[in-house]
Amino acid sequence: MSGEALRALSETALALAAAVFVTSLLLLLLGYDPVSSLAVMFTYGLGNVEYVAAVAAPLVLSALAFLIPLRAGLFNIGGEGQAYLGALSFLYFSQQFGALGLLAGGLMGALLGGTLGALRAFLGVNEVIASIMTNWTLYYVTLFLVSRHLTHPEFPHRSIDVGFFLGSWTSFLLALALALLALVLLYNTLLGYEIRVLGSSRRAAAYAGIDVRRVTVLSMSIGGLFGGTAGALKVMYVGHLDTTMSALFGVGFLGIGVALIGKSHPIGAVLSAAFLASMIIGGHWVELRLGTPPELTDVIVGVMVLVLSAPYALKLLQRGGRLG
Amino acid sequence: MVEAELWLFVLISSLSYMTPILLATIGEIITERSGIVNVGIEGILLSSAFASVATSFFSGSMLLGVLAGTLAGALLGALFGLFAVYLRADQIIAGLAINMASYGFTVLGLIAIWGHHGASPRVEGQLPYFSIGQSTVPLLTLLAILIAVLSWFFLFRTRTGLALRACGEEPRAADAMGVNTYRYRIAATTLGGTLAGLGGAFLALEIAGVFTRGMSAGMGFIALANVAFSGWNPLPAVFGAYVFGFLSAAADALQQEVGYAYLLKTLPYLGTLAITVLTARRSRAPLRLGVPYARE
Repeated sequence: MSGEALRALSETALALAAAVFVTSLLLLLLGYDPVSSLAVMFTYGLGNVEYVAAVAAPLVLSALAFLIPLRAGLFNIGGEGQAYLGALSFLYFSQQFGALGLLAGGLMGALLGGTLGALRAFLGVNEVIASIMTNWTLYYVTLFLVSRHLTHPEFPHRSIDVGFFLGSWTSFLLALALALLALVLLYNTLLGYEIRVLGSSRRAAAYAGIDVRRVTVLSMSIGGLFGGTAGALKVMYVGHLDTTMSALFGVGFLGIGVALIGKSHPIGAVLSAAFLASMIIGGHWVELRLGTPPELTDVIVGVMVLVLSAPYALKLLQRGGRLG
Repeated sequence: MVEAELWLFVLISSLSYMTPILLATIGEIITERSGIVNVGIEGILLSSAFASVATSFFSGSMLLGVLAGTLAGALLGALFGLFAVYLRADQIIAGLAINMASYGFTVLGLIAIWGHHGASPRVEGQLPYFSIGQSTVPLLTLLAILIAVLSWFFLFRTRTGLALRACGEEPRAADAMGVNTYRYRIAATTLGGTLAGLGGAFLALEIAGVFTRGMSAGMGFIALANVAFSGWNPLPAVFGAYVFGFLSAAADALQQEVGYAYLLKTLPYLGTLAITVLTARRSRAPLRLGVPYARE
């Protein structure tokens, strides 16, 4: 195993250990049984591989939505809003155009991502703030449309059903194919090279004659394309949207965690999406069996990402805690 | 309601909505002036809102609730500072992590304590206020404005404030001048968290009167927008917070008047986006903002 892979693995192990420790303390404090909760959480999800594949597919894509712009040094926190827009577009267009609805979802996401990229590139608008504002705007627009225009004739709190469906494995294979495409894009194309140069140093990119604005807009558009498709896949799997937003809420944000636990690499994102999907399914079992809330997953992901945000922490541990 | 009365009501209730935004903004200005950007204030608002409601629920005291919220903010600010300063974390990622963990942790607590997935019971009691005509203005709103003035004085009229700003502009030079950059920065994130914590307590105890799942709903990011809008200066931040607070207050009041609740709820976010786009590049951020600093 290469040194880099070994270090990545140690960092992930450290992050997971920290997450297990913190959540155990939290569960104890709140009066739940940490040992059985975590045991159920980490093992029960593995029982149904097809279910894991179905839950993982949109997560792979929402991870790519964050990952591609991140490699260009941009923070696309708008995966959440792009997923809402992609889901709405898929819901609407799949009625008449079937599978093409997926493409519509992806393209609408790309349009939104590209707009955020253009605001950043040409007007200097902070993409983190702009992303969050579009996320919340689209959250309420989705609720408006579900309750007023795309409403089910019999159930006013939910939308019409989707007009196209793919099975769990087909969805997962689609996500896997797109992850491989992202891999090729990043490492075997000129644009991918430009994205990586921009991500390592804006100044170097400008000196190398890279059109920083163009790469900013393109990487955010590609991120949005994945984000929109993530939302489309998610609503396709659930079958419809409702006014609790439980089908969609968090898909984009979880993608950030998936991308970072996967070390910002497309293949890592696939592995970490499968890991997180099994944990999410385990989380439902924890709730059924022990009454422990499934939001445990968010705590675990949050703590893991916090530890992973500081690779220097591992170096410090290896040196026995000496700052330097 | 007569139209003029409605708008007067909105203008006064904007003062309430302004308060948590202003407190979080001032905290973030101090943090960013030291060279650290903390997007985790969204999660800090949420965690401190939860801590304040849980504490006032168990103790029966609103004041203890405010203290608990503020303390929770201070702890999270210090934790973030530990990662951002000493562990040289990617600040945006660490901040997002605080947001994710806060969301999960507060929902966990909501269900564990009250057995409910959406909202806590209403808090009993009333924070101190004073009256203008028929309307009331919370005392903490005045305090927040006072904190803005004091922070301006601290940042721009004291030697410590100058040293703190030096950490954000040229940490190496600051270090060479004998300013302990690490200590200034972690003090700044802790102070920033403390103010956001006070804001979170106000949001839950005064504005909402309950804790609800994910109740910060982007307010931390509206505060981040206000930081840039006000040019990293606490005095214009008062005006900015009022403008952003007005959007929320107007959305709330109009919902009750005209319906279209879902569409009106987009107003604070679309308004913030519009203001951010229109005023981008107007002011300059601290030179070394967000860049981890390692002492030689």
